[in-house]
Amino acid sequence: MLDRSTILEHLRGLLADMFEIEPQRITPAARLSEDLDIDSIDAIDLLLRLKEMTGQRIPAEAFKRVRTVADVIAVLQPLLPADRVAAASQGSPPT
Amino acid sequence: MTALFGRAWRVVATALAFAVFGVGGAALGVVGAPLLALSTVDARVRQRRVQRAIHLSCRFFVWMMRTLGLLSYRVSGGERLLGCGRLIAANHPSLIDAVFLLALMPSVDCIAKRALWRNPFLGAVIRWAGYIPNLDAGQLLSECEHRLRAGRCLLVFPEGTRSVPGRHLPLKRGLARLALRSGAPIVPVCIECRPPTLTKGSPWYRVPPVRPQWTIEVGEPLWPRALVPEGLDPPVAARRLTREIERRLGLASPAPV
Repeated sequence: MLDRSTILEHLRGLLADMFEIEPQRITPAARLSEDLDIDSIDAIDLLLRLKEMTGQRIPAEAFKRVRTVADVIAVLQPLLPADRVAAASQGSPPT
Repeated sequence: MTALFGRAWRVVATALAFAVFGVGGAALGVVGAPLLALSTVDARVRQRRVQRAIHLSCRFFVWMMRTLGLLSYRVSGGERLLGCGRLIAANHPSLIDAVFLLALMPSVDCIAKRALWRNPFLGAVIRWAGYIPNLDAGQLLSECEHRLRAGRCLLVFPEGTRSVPGRHLPLKRGLARLALRSGAPIVPVCIECRPPTLTKGSPWYRVPPVRPQWTIEVGEPLWPRALVPEGLDPPVAARRLTREIERRLGLASPAPV
């Protein structure tokens, strides 16, 4: 499993890119809705991107309880062996 | 003295108007709409007929409020509200904004917030009218897109709720998302009420010292895909379009009071 700070780095890049958020605002304590202005429709797009990134099914139920960046990291951590993420961030599909 | 008398009369007339609205809504929901439903088996035809009944009722209601001396109003660009597959986007300073707009449009689909579906006076009629419940975001977007593509017009209040006098609310991005997905033109409606009346948090009996005037200005349609650069991902495109709409509606700056 990847450690949380590595996941945070990848997530920071993803959120900054997807939603035009300044990277320094993306901290583990940041609330998706109130602090980062990620609304429910954005969350649907985010879930899709995360599914692509991890190559795994992420049940919408697990994501519904997510409120902060730390919550997202907690959902992702069990799904991210190191090699998958390396492949995903290079733009190639995970094997 | 006459001013005090006039204000006192307007408190009484306001109470009367609320009563008429409640009774009328319930009557439409329990008697009128079901009777109309007997006239056709096609659900869409039924919904349009119920919407037309709502339209005529709102026209009557606006006429009644004016005749009772409760308010005056001015509309410009009303003809831009007619047509197919348009997204009518209005700001929301007062409780009766929707009543004015429904009085101006014979048939339009509305997004109704959860509380309205349980409202004892309006719950039934909005069901018969085929209005869209504000439930799951993804489902709401799909349903709205479906209706627009079918040629229906949609009435939305992108601020999400009534604004407070002097300050507009930031627009929710659902409007931009919907406009970009469907390609439907956005018809901007600027509603002003001077002095501010029936605003959020203000009780029904707090009538202003002078008779309020509502101004409804319907602007030229905005074509969403022309307002943002091509090739942007949907979340970014929606953000850019929302800012552009706010700018064009003059919502980026403080609202006049």
